[in-house]
Amino acid sequence: MIINNLLFCFLLFLQLAATDPIDPADTVYYSDSGFVEFTSSVPMHSFSGESEQLTGMIDFEENIIDFYIDLTTLKTGIGKRDRDMYQTLNTEEHPFAEFTGSFKSPSPIPDQRTKVTAIGEFTINGVTKEVEVQGFLEPNEEGLLLEAKWSLLLSDYDIKPPGILFYRVDDTQEIRIELVLKPTSRQELTAENETGA
Amino acid sequence: MKQLHFLSSIIINSLIVVLLISVTTNAQLPRERAQTDGPVENTFWATTNIGISTVQNVDKHNLESSVMHTFGLVRGGIDTFYGLDDGANTKIGLDYGISNKFSVGISRMTFNKVVDLRGKYNILRQTKSGSVPVDLAIKSSLGISTLSGVGLEFKERLSYFTSVMIARKSDRMSLQLTPMIAHFNAPVAGNPHQLFGLGVLTSYALNNRLALSAEYLPVIGQRHAFSKDALAVALNINTGGHVFQLFLASSQWHNEQYIMANNRDKFWKGEFRFGFNIHRVFGLGVD
Repeated sequence: MIINNLLFCFLLFLQLAATDPIDPADTVYYSDSGFVEFTSSVPMHSFSGESEQLTGMIDFEENIIDFYIDLTTLKTGIGKRDRDMYQTLNTEEHPFAEFTGSFKSPSPIPDQRTKVTAIGEFTINGVTKEVEVQGFLEPNEEGLLLEAKWSLLLSDYDIKPPGILFYRVDDTQEIRIELVLKPTSRQELTAENETGA
Repeated sequence: MKQLHFLSSIIINSLIVVLLISVTTNAQLPRERAQTDGPVENTFWATTNIGISTVQNVDKHNLESSVMHTFGLVRGGIDTFYGLDDGANTKIGLDYGISNKFSVGISRMTFNKVVDLRGKYNILRQTKSGSVPVDLAIKSSLGISTLSGVGLEFKERLSYFTSVMIARKSDRMSLQLTPMIAHFNAPVAGNPHQLFGLGVLTSYALNNRLALSAEYLPVIGQRHAFSKDALAVALNINTGGHVFQLFLASSQWHNEQYIMANNRDKFWKGEFRFGFNIHRVFGLGVD
């Protein structure tokens, strides 16, 4: 009997390990190489910074959306400005900007370009605010293309825009993200996270 | 036997539950830093502390422009508007980052109309983890006096300079030691061909925008009989785009070899002047 139970357990494990990654019930959409860009303005000109290390996951089954970026991967093209930005964003203490939420109207995996709205908590500089973000999901050969844009106010997150007197970075930052989320089995994602951790 | 069977069933069922849980995605992805260690940043806010080069280098494909001014002695009083009427020694320079560790630069100074060609290389960067405890950099430069009508051969116009910069930042405080050597092909009367010095630089960040800094440059060994060790103190203002350095300095000269050779003023006797530097970095393309 023990041997039978162990055999059952082993077979179940094999079954789980060999689950088809595109089985919807077992699939999440994941990327660790998403693109994120912010655009900032100062009097008379604007500048942008970008990173290609946005990490995120959408779990349609559980209606979970989770994204984060290590802020020190953001580059503006000027090293000194980057270092100043990291200080301003307090990356030593709070290295991540992150969003965790869900779709406002839970829906199945879209089969065409679809407008979606996510609601959840956005955190930067250790300050968390409820936000609502609109974007588009579009299936492609690799998985799902996600595009979204929104604005945030630095002052909402206790971030003092750098500058002096009238020459100061604007409080409003335009954020744009774009990434292809690939279907990944939960098991694969768990294993990847354990390996990466 | 039944008890054993019951126990084994519990264990096996528990194992199944654990397996099922282990393949369920967590609500949040584990947060992972892209880089867990890295160089300590902003040891100094600019490539020059006041008059002496720092370990700070220009990043790859970035161009730093600098404008430096020193005026006459403050003790000239209102008659000279505290030195501002006495004429400035102005140095305008550009430094370009070939890589994140190596930069080249050129500048031109009013006094002696010296054109300066230079390179700076970071050998070591202090790391946040402490695996490398200091920054170590080397700088070499060639000074060419372009004064006309003084009857100098080209080689007599040349001066050479090399320094090793060793720096460490702890929290808000940075300290740098800079042993240096200079060689003049044709020194002015009373000056030796070779000069040795030890620059001592410090900076203290009051916050992200303001820092105090100071530097002292004793000349070691043979020197001009009237030369004095240079001292300067500065207030650094970081606007996010520019770094302004407002300072009081004994020397009106800019390049290190000329500071060692030509400073005749003693700070503690009230022989100091006002000056300011402006540094601005431009990006010439994102990698």
